[in-house]
Amino acid sequence: MTDVTLSGIHKRFGAVHAVRGVDLAIPDGEFTVLVGPSGCGKSTLLRIIAGLEEADAGTVAIGGQVVNHLPPRERNVAMVFQNYALYPHMKVYDNIAFGLRARKVAESEIGERVKRAAGMLSIGNLLDRLPRQLSGGQRQRVAIGRAIVRDARLFLFDEPLSNLDAQLRDDMRSEIKRLHRDLSTTMIYVTHDQIEAMTLADRIVLLRDGRIEQMGAPLDLFERPATRFVAGFLGSPAMNFVPARLSADASVVEVDAAMLAVPAGRRASLAGRGASAVVLGLRPEHMRRFADGEQREGVVRLGVTIELIQPTGSRTYATFRLAGVPVVAELQAHDVNRPNERLDLGVDMNRAVLIDPATDRVL
Amino acid sequence: MTQTTTSSTERLVAGRGIGGFGERHFKYTVLAPAIFILLLIGLFPLVYSLIVSFQRVTMMSADTSFAGFANYAKLFADARLWESLLHTAIFAAIALPLELVLGLAMAQLFLERMPGRQVFVALLVLPTVISPIVAGANWRLMFDHRFGPINQVIGWFMGEPTPILWIINPLTVYPAILICEVWQWTPFMFLILLAALSNVDKSLTEAAEIDGASQWRIFTRIVLPAIWPVMAIAILIRGLDLVRLFDIVWSLTRGGPGTMTETISYYTYVQGFSQFEISYTAAMAFLVVALLTVIVTLALKRMGIAR
Repeated sequence: MTDVTLSGIHKRFGAVHAVRGVDLAIPDGEFTVLVGPSGCGKSTLLRIIAGLEEADAGTVAIGGQVVNHLPPRERNVAMVFQNYALYPHMKVYDNIAFGLRARKVAESEIGERVKRAAGMLSIGNLLDRLPRQLSGGQRQRVAIGRAIVRDARLFLFDEPLSNLDAQLRDDMRSEIKRLHRDLSTTMIYVTHDQIEAMTLADRIVLLRDGRIEQMGAPLDLFERPATRFVAGFLGSPAMNFVPARLSADASVVEVDAAMLAVPAGRRASLAGRGASAVVLGLRPEHMRRFADGEQREGVVRLGVTIELIQPTGSRTYATFRLAGVPVVAELQAHDVNRPNERLDLGVDMNRAVLIDPATDRVL
Repeated sequence: MTQTTTSSTERLVAGRGIGGFGERHFKYTVLAPAIFILLLIGLFPLVYSLIVSFQRVTMMSADTSFAGFANYAKLFADARLWESLLHTAIFAAIALPLELVLGLAMAQLFLERMPGRQVFVALLVLPTVISPIVAGANWRLMFDHRFGPINQVIGWFMGEPTPILWIINPLTVYPAILICEVWQWTPFMFLILLAALSNVDKSLTEAAEIDGASQWRIFTRIVLPAIWPVMAIAILIRGLDLVRLFDIVWSLTRGGPGTMTETISYYTYVQGFSQFEISYTAAMAFLVVALLTVIVTLALKRMGIAR
């Protein structure tokens, strides 16, 4: 059983307060992704779990045992570094075997385990090479091999894919996911890439300025963000934020001259605020070309003039202005053909997010 | 003005006819003076002393007749020469590992950030900055058996005056020279190794730590191989310097007592500039050149830094 419990973790680097009170419980076998913009404290948190940094306050427990004062080598965790950190003068085999040799495993068993790990990652033919003779993707595999060969109770990944090109990154992402399925070891993965976070995680922990902004299953976070920051961080292209006014009875959101009706089911929870300023959050994929005669509960019609078109092949991103801010809609490839085209969009108000501009919290 | 110069240069470069040099030969024309001077000051003395080593030149007679290998044959019969080689080897064999280990330990110590680090590093490097002759002269005073502070301090601990004859007593003369040598050149090792150590990728040692390696294992398996290319060069430079050890010996002991601390460089100097055996000294110099060439070649091969 390797659950990880962090409570009240603080870390300062001089004047910088990098981690400001993080409480987090990670159950056994879960794939947790720590995600957030650079400088949010996610890597520091990971290094504190690994034992490479010491927390100024709070406790770290791995498998029920408080490990604050244990050096990294006694925590029995494995870590994959962003720059791979392969030992440059050792062949791939020796790189993978290093941890086992340090733990005095018999050489015959080392041979077996290295071969098994290499087999899992299809790097069996590279064992005699030096790291500098490998490509980026191969190095990454070796680094992962070095981690899995030890049967560590906890795997830590520190932005392992950020040095790879896009294609390789997609491949390795699936590979890491498969690895987790096969090993079912507890894994903690740090990234700034929200797509990696969404695709890999059982649970996403979104960090901001050293605090947890929100955590939960990927789709929960995506569909029910608690704050404007979460709403804007997850999703690509990002959510559009438009200044708007909510009517006193919460029946209508007023943007520019347009009146967008709030679905009846949502009015109750929004009423009682009185007429107030709100920020309307619209995801690009929740707008589409309005078909004549279409009538669907909560979808409202909005006439716009397209300023910019960005076809990606399967979809086309169309930019228009609403209340003075550029808004991106994700349409079908041929929905719009040229700039300055007038277009009626159907906006799905069931999925729209309303944010209190004073607190940045989602209403 | 500038324009005129440029255009005339262009014409010179472009003009294939001028002096028979085309554009392609222009670079050789420009390089020629430098190469000539280099050969003159580098190669000429070497060749000249090689020639002299086959003659019978002394201060008394400029006998330039061909002597064959007479001088070289004499080398092999010269016991004092072989002893001086042995002394040199002893100095190198003790001083080099000492400087290396001390320098490495100090570098490791100063790797951590600490207040006043820069001041300490600057102070520690001072011995290397001063001239070896000055260092030797200073240490001669330090070792003085009546007025030297070293005997003074030892005296405090012993409770009575202890007039150790540092540079006269055969038992203490080697330690005295070695102390001076190590004092002066450990900072050199320290500085180079400090630079090498601070360049070691921190994620490597962190990865090894997580892999479960002990501090010692990390140092020997990860850090040492990482700094080896730099360390090998430092060892080579210091090694060659030690083979040529002269100034400290000259200022501390003049090779004494007797010829006990004569190094090969010092003995060569004695032959050349007290005995004025010009041809014999030239032969001796060539022996040293041959010796160093062998050492350097072997070292480069073994250390794998020639690649």
